[in-house]
Amino acid sequence: MSEAAALDGGRPDEKAGLTTRLVCWWTIFRIALEERLAYRGDFALGTLMRFLPIITQIFLWWAIFESIDGDLVGYSFPDMVAYYLLSMLGRAFSSMPGLASTIAKQIRDGELKKFLVQPIDLIGFFLLGRVAHKLAYYTISTLPFALVFYLCRDYFTDGWPSAYVMTMFCFSLILAFLLGFFMDLCIGLIGFWFLEVSSLLFIYMLFNFFLSGHMFPLDLLPSGIQAAVSCLPFKYLAYLPAAIFLGKIDSELLWIEMTTEVLWLVILICVARLLYGRGLRRYSGYGG
Amino acid sequence: MPIIEINNLSKSYRVYQKREGLLASIRGLFHREYRDVHAVRDVSLSVDKGEFVAFLGPNGAGKTTTLKLLSGVIYPTGGSASVMGYTPWVRENAYRRKFALVMGQKNQLWWDLPAQESFRLHQQIYRIDQRDFQSTLDELTELLDVSELLSRPVRELSLGERMKMELIAALLHSPEVLFLDEPTIGLDVVAQHNIQQFLRYYQEQRGITILLTSHYMKDIAALCKRVVVITDGTIKFDGSLAGVIDSFSGTKLVRLQLADRQSADGLEQFAEVESVELPKVTLRCEKSAVTKTLATVLQKYEVEDVSVEDPPLEEVIADLYATGAATEQATQEVSR
Amino acid sequence: MPIPPEPQHPSYAKVFLTFARNSLVRDMMFRANFLIEAVSSLSWAVMNVGFYWIIFEHANSIGAQTGWEKYEFFVFMGTTWIINSIVQAFFMPNSEEFSELIRTGGLDFAMLKPIDTQFLISLRKVAWSSLANLVLGIVIVAISLAQLASRAEDPWQFQPAMLVLYPLYIACGVAILYSLMICLAATSVWLGRNQTLYDFWFYITNFSRYPMEIYARGWGLPLLVVFTFVIPVLVVVNVPARLLAEPLSPRASWEWPLAGFTLLATLGCLCFSRWVFRTALLSYRSASS
Repeated sequence: MSEAAALDGGRPDEKAGLTTRLVCWWTIFRIALEERLAYRGDFALGTLMRFLPIITQIFLWWAIFESIDGDLVGYSFPDMVAYYLLSMLGRAFSSMPGLASTIAKQIRDGELKKFLVQPIDLIGFFLLGRVAHKLAYYTISTLPFALVFYLCRDYFTDGWPSAYVMTMFCFSLILAFLLGFFMDLCIGLIGFWFLEVSSLLFIYMLFNFFLSGHMFPLDLLPSGIQAAVSCLPFKYLAYLPAAIFLGKIDSELLWIEMTTEVLWLVILICVARLLYGRGLRRYSGYGG
Repeated sequence: MPIIEINNLSKSYRVYQKREGLLASIRGLFHREYRDVHAVRDVSLSVDKGEFVAFLGPNGAGKTTTLKLLSGVIYPTGGSASVMGYTPWVRENAYRRKFALVMGQKNQLWWDLPAQESFRLHQQIYRIDQRDFQSTLDELTELLDVSELLSRPVRELSLGERMKMELIAALLHSPEVLFLDEPTIGLDVVAQHNIQQFLRYYQEQRGITILLTSHYMKDIAALCKRVVVITDGTIKFDGSLAGVIDSFSGTKLVRLQLADRQSADGLEQFAEVESVELPKVTLRCEKSAVTKTLATVLQKYEVEDVSVEDPPLEEVIADLYATGAATEQATQEVSR
Repeated sequence: MPIPPEPQHPSYAKVFLTFARNSLVRDMMFRANFLIEAVSSLSWAVMNVGFYWIIFEHANSIGAQTGWEKYEFFVFMGTTWIINSIVQAFFMPNSEEFSELIRTGGLDFAMLKPIDTQFLISLRKVAWSSLANLVLGIVIVAISLAQLASRAEDPWQFQPAMLVLYPLYIACGVAILYSLMICLAATSVWLGRNQTLYDFWFYITNFSRYPMEIYARGWGLPLLVVFTFVIPVLVVVNVPARLLAEPLSPRASWEWPLAGFTLLATLGCLCFSRWVFRTALLSYRSASS
């Protein structure tokens, strides 16, 4: 059986058996992983550099806390550092460098046509590629991450959270990955309608950076704005995992937050499916 | 006094050897295997002013590398070269003002701008006097018939038109030596023909020296009196196009026009039968055996007409490439 | 009259003007894109202002007794934008393209031209839209200075020397950042694909975005030394911002030597980047077609 024929993803009612499909998905996954590992220099540099902004943040907040007395909206200086470290971890799961731009580029260059011809599901294909990408990233970056967290262990003044909170934390990281993926995917798929999405992408990244809590804990925002920002899905990408770990969210609210996050995920999956379906139809309509 | 003089020029470089498979990729993160590729080895060549020389050879044989060495874009690992008295890789401004390189697969014009704007930039970079610039540009655009396209963004031009613009960009500063790397690649027959004609005319008019690599035999047959065959980084042949056939083909084709009703049966005893389309039959035999075979055949068969020809150039070159590729595989040295 | 000798060098100013002009022609072809780019880089700047605005809601200075209160700090930030936007307008697109040229072999053409290759590579394109931030930076500096000049105690005073020193040190800052950037881009000759170039650049220059005093504590001291004397990104914004935001005298004893050092560092960086660039060209392999 040829590989192309085996590449059947999205439709469970097709004839291809489960094993064949798994083999096919494994192949895609492996190729993506190999591709990522081929660029060693890039990888090593990238991982190392990722921690530099944390250092400047630590010193900035160190200086700021020096000029005020006590806490800042419930964060002490160690809390603040711990927050940044944890939000980095959140970003490591939720950021999708190059995903939206790759999709938009493939749409523009007509490369995406292969998904019309081959029986591959685009969304599944990209999701697997991303999982591979992330796994490759984690294999390289676990060590530096562990090292940095170990060096900064004193900033975590409350020690490890309870097993329950830990579970929720891990769960929120996985959700952050999925949410981040589908948000980026949707932006990329807008490329079906607007050929040039790079600017849109930049603005999206800006909002993402600012409103996800990567730049500062969202608690710092004036209360009116904070309420508005809380209604957006961005906060799940960095702020929420960190806030959960630091015990900033009590257990009742935690459930509500997690449920809302899952809802957001479902909505985004539907939107992505819709965009993909409509876009593809529009795409093939060109005929060119 | 030759205008281009190359002595024992060599270029080798290391490439990372990527292995198949996931485990190998992971291993590749920590330990890499390299392989030395000898792109050019001990090439010596001399070209006189006004010559139009073709480099022939399979992909990866070292033709382009040689042109790049002569352009000063890369540094050799050994040997020397001199073009118009300059050592190319010193990259003196004086040298760079006197030659040009055109690559069929890369473009140097600004993609989104009309070619005219790129030409202006060239004028500034090469400091071409406004009057000279205008007259050269007029002449070139007229010869290549692209005057109307000057103000159109390059991205909207066809491949052939773009190549013409690339040629103009390269010739604006009236180079004395021109290196052409597959200038007609991917072009249709008409565009190829146009560019050939232009090159021949321009070279005859200006008497400039041109080195050309191409895969199209038509280019070479139309333009070059001298052919240099490179395979596996070394020069295998240097001489006329006819000489290529002489020295690389050991066989000749004997074409027979048999008389009516004469059957072709039994001819295979005397020589290899290439084709039978009665009454025409084509035989292939060793050069040395041509006379003997022909005598025997004429004796035993009724033949109305006979001719002896060289095999077609394409075929000879294809054979040459095939043997070149085979030896290339064998000579790449694997090292750590 | 003797015939003038054939010019050996192109007129660099004219070539640069042609580059700038061509870039503008190109930008104007994609006008919508140009506008969006300008707007998006502006909104990034505004978000940063917002961030610090929030911080100054909670604290009144960055560090105790450093003198970086709200408007002094906004002068600092404005200076950051001015320097960064100049770098982004003139050098960033070219450095990014430099890596791409190395990867695709397009560098060949640049090397053939009878003009300094580093000049050609560094200034080929101008991203006019990035200059929006230059305007914003100047506006922020102007507003902040006005605020400082009108405050009740110890108002800011204009001094003529600032007119010379501020632009001079802005230029030094730009030169240092440019050197760093071209060195980073040149590494793609050895590292192959260098996607992280932009990240690396961002992370390194990140250190320059804050007053250097914040590092003057605990384990920040080694960083202070490294990023002042080894990779001098800390002097890039600090020196000009300090000159402008605080009175010329009295000065802390280390400030004038630091200003002197900045000049030396600029020279050193430029020379070093030239050396790296040349070495990179020697290793350039020219990707085949």
